[in-house]
Amino acid sequence: MSALLAATDSTTVHLTAQTRILAAVLAIAFMLLILDLIRRGRLQERYSVIWFVAGLGMLAGAAFPGLLELVADAMGVRDTNVALFSIVLFFLLGLALNFSVIMSRQAAQITRLAQERALEKAREQATNGSRRDSDAVRQGRRESE
Amino acid sequence: MRTLVFIPAWNEQASIREVIGDVRKSLPDADILVVDDGSTDATTATARGSGVLVATLPFNQGLGAALQTGYLHALREGYDFCAHLDADGQHPAQEVSRLLDEVIADRADLVIGSRYSDPDAEAAADDYRPTLSRRIGIGVFRFFLTLATRQRFTDTTSGMRAANRRVMALFSEHYSPDFAEIESLQLAVRQGLRVEEVPVRMLERTGGSSFLTPLRSAFFIFKGFVVLLVGQFRPKQAEPER
Repeated sequence: MSALLAATDSTTVHLTAQTRILAAVLAIAFMLLILDLIRRGRLQERYSVIWFVAGLGMLAGAAFPGLLELVADAMGVRDTNVALFSIVLFFLLGLALNFSVIMSRQAAQITRLAQERALEKAREQATNGSRRDSDAVRQGRRESE
Repeated sequence: MRTLVFIPAWNEQASIREVIGDVRKSLPDADILVVDDGSTDATTATARGSGVLVATLPFNQGLGAALQTGYLHALREGYDFCAHLDADGQHPAQEVSRLLDEVIADRADLVIGSRYSDPDAEAAADDYRPTLSRRIGIGVFRFFLTLATRQRFTDTTSGMRAANRRVMALFSEHYSPDFAEIESLQLAVRQGLRVEEVPVRMLERTGGSSFLTPLRSAFFIFKGFVVLLVGQFRPKQAEPER
């Protein structure tokens, strides 16, 4: 029994105050960077929400280290490090998928835009052409008179 | 009754003029639109020089996007029927008019010109003969598509087709940019449109070259498989407008 307790003790990683402060500083710096990107128009608001959520998650993890252990417990993972890495991995996977969806939508929009432009040019050509045709007809009439 | 024949072209300056002339001869009443898929050669200028309308896409986007441009034009300009053929000179326009006849007679919504559906036909000297790798690819696609649509198709990648307004409405909205020929057939059948094949004669290409290398072919087949598989799970949409 005591051996089992010792084993769980050794696998549970407690964050030191130092790493917690570092994580909190990084989280805040990250969110400030997002804010700055939006402010300078480099990032659109609608794509920033997910990054703020990530930043807040980092901050929450730093402020309440018990939270991570709670989550790890709920996942049935004994090692909190593994839990942390798998959460981050799935988050990034979801984010990459999200980008693919956005990219596909934008690709479709670009295609339609190009098609509209091409057809517009063809219509321009048609109106110019018919004007030239009627000019030619008028010219022909003048010559025959 | 108005008919549009559109010709998707990508770097086909060598053959486009001839193809336009052929269409004019065989289909004198049809309007012609060349869709230049971002060519880097003089395709647009050559086609304009022949006196036909040209829709020039600002950059190359693949056959699907080019074909969709044609369908979109046909739908918006109120054409009753449309057809398309390749710009490399493999498709005799005379055969296109036979496809159009089927659609005009309302025997089908979409008609595909097939190189193979008439195996007994006497092969003329200049007839189309596919290479081995191409035959394998075509066989694989034929199998997948038949499985997916429960309808027999012999020439799944044929770029010679005729269609009515129901098809224009469908294809101008939904057309896969990567896998134009095959996915569009699957889509049309799933939407309850009548798709038919008509045996046609095709020639060896007069200009340009095929884009298929062995590795590309393998990737092409794999991609086709995935596309068809995914297509089977697409929701069936409401009946397109007639």
